[in-house]
Amino acid sequence: MVEGGNGAPAAAAVEALNCPSCGGTIELKAAGYTVTVVCQYCSSVLDVANPDVRIITEYHEAAASLEIPLGSRGTLDGIEWEAIGYMARSENGSYPWEEYLLFNPYHGYRWLVTDGRGWSFGEMLTRTPKWEPPSHLAVDNKPYTAFFADTPAQVDYVLGEFYWRVAVGEEVVGSTYVRPGWMLSREANGSEINWTLLRLLEPGEMEAAFGVDEPPRSSPPLPHQPSPYHGSIGKVAALGFGAIGLLVILFIIFSGGGTLLREEMTLPQNGQFQSATFGPVTLDDAYQAVSIQARAPALDNAWVDLDYALVNRATQVSYQAYGLAERYSGRDSEGSWTEGDRGSSIKMATVPAGTYDLVVEAAATRWKTGSTASRSGGSPPETGPIEVEIVAGTGKSFFSNVVLAAFLILIPLIFMFFRHAAFETARVAESDFAATGEDDEEDDE
Amino acid sequence: MLKLPCPNCGSEVVFRSPALPVRVCDYCQSTLVRSDEGVREIGKAAALPFDVSPIRIGTRGRFEGQPFEVIGRVRWGWTDGSWNEWLLLFGDGRHAWLGEAMGQFMLLFERETRPLRARAVRSLIAGETVPVGTKAQIDGEVLTVADVRDATCIAAEGELPFAAPNDWTVLSVDFRSASGRCASLQRDEDGAHFYDGRYVTLAELAPSNLRPIEGWRMPAYG
Repeated sequence: MVEGGNGAPAAAAVEALNCPSCGGTIELKAAGYTVTVVCQYCSSVLDVANPDVRIITEYHEAAASLEIPLGSRGTLDGIEWEAIGYMARSENGSYPWEEYLLFNPYHGYRWLVTDGRGWSFGEMLTRTPKWEPPSHLAVDNKPYTAFFADTPAQVDYVLGEFYWRVAVGEEVVGSTYVRPGWMLSREANGSEINWTLLRLLEPGEMEAAFGVDEPPRSSPPLPHQPSPYHGSIGKVAALGFGAIGLLVILFIIFSGGGTLLREEMTLPQNGQFQSATFGPVTLDDAYQAVSIQARAPALDNAWVDLDYALVNRATQVSYQAYGLAERYSGRDSEGSWTEGDRGSSIKMATVPAGTYDLVVEAAATRWKTGSTASRSGGSPPETGPIEVEIVAGTGKSFFSNVVLAAFLILIPLIFMFFRHAAFETARVAESDFAATGEDDEEDDE
Repeated sequence: MLKLPCPNCGSEVVFRSPALPVRVCDYCQSTLVRSDEGVREIGKAAALPFDVSPIRIGTRGRFEGQPFEVIGRVRWGWTDGSWNEWLLLFGDGRHAWLGEAMGQFMLLFERETRPLRARAVRSLIAGETVPVGTKAQIDGEVLTVADVRDATCIAAEGELPFAAPNDWTVLSVDFRSASGRCASLQRDEDGAHFYDGRYVTLAELAPSNLRPIEGWRMPAYG
């Protein structure tokens, strides 16, 4: 039959042939590629590489029933695949796993692999992973860590069709490399080396694609199973450290504890600046915020100007700030009113360690009732001197609270980190490269 | 372009390029060779066995910006299987081969063998054989012999640069590099030919006029 002329109708997708052993009709799904087919009725292994179908091994036994019956189709990564071949494999009879060969005539072959703990979807590579000493292989610049080394992999049972001459008992030497969610598998026989890149399917993908009941993720984890804590650790860490950072910023802005000095000044309400030097003020930390609060409880219809200077006794370097407390009150058509604050609070953000004097120059000035800008309702003027309390402090005593809060924020992170470490330990314990690898030493011929 | 009646069945056959002097008649599978004296029948190609390749004569695509059309095909077999080699004719007159095996594709251009200095390649050209795994450095890149096998021509269709008679047997040696480059040396008693290229995906060739296959959705590229 010659096909392929333009305008030819859709070619049949299958080629039917008769099993020379049992006479059953076998439909080849990948005609032209398939070399070996196992009869689904009698399990005989047939060679279809040449037009005359030959029996390689004759059997008269029913085929095993499979979790994914051959001929089933399912869609993965947006492409429909048909399961056309099945192999049960093992390491000399232990650690069994199963492989389904998938086919789409427009997209070639893929693999579905499971050891009962999860499904992986694989494609054979046409390039060779790059070796990056000391222990990594790279594919598309992604690192893969060695996990299993040189383990024998044999074929225990086959069904369906394959593009190479497959045989029960056939053995290759396999090596496995992983990164979270991905596995790189190397299989070598005497004359060929094949690399397959497998993606661990998300829970639900196989159910949606092939209607397979998926096993829950179990312990020990799969070699390429991503730690469930891995992603969330990053998020929780970002959140936690963000919160700590915010806390520190808030602490610097608002902290007022750690009193350095508490002094009083008496100011006549005449607008004349009075000067006072308080101290010493000793600052121990390399850098700290210094806050200065002034409070005049009796202030009314007056304001207090405050010029602060923290002067280093040794270097005479001075840090300056200006504060203002003002308070007005009165009565108008809507009733009595007040405006302003009897206190002033200022902050010097980063003052280096040292011994300082606090020099305060302050003046209290009465609001001139009856002046053009006056809002005053004309309460009787308090003309006597007023008391101003000056309190300087650092955030120091509060900082222990910040540390405590940071610790509380970090507790879930630390917890998750240990869970992550436990997961990774359980996962890597299966590896031939495990640090404490006395349990899983394979017999590497 | 040369249009002639098939000397065997009379139906029209087309020769598009002097570099492709061989034509298998679409209707009677006669293998025709074009020469200065005209067209001569040199044999009959075998019927192509059924396969589900997505490529067919008339499939078009682009490779590295250059448009091509599939105009011929040779199907090769060996003890453990068979594969297709599709002949691509580019808009600029060059031709290349699209090898199709195990559901994977490689696109190869023929190169002159004379400038090739790699020892493995020279040994093969000289008629010796090399084991699988032998390395050959070609254009500064290390290629490894991936397989060595005797291949027999099963069938052919369309236009071809050479006659591909049934049971024509060649030694076929495939080379691969880590980067996805591949090369193939084919040798018979008349000499050796060397083909060099790389693995490609159908998607990157953005092919149109693929072969419709019953029950499968044809991907739309480009």
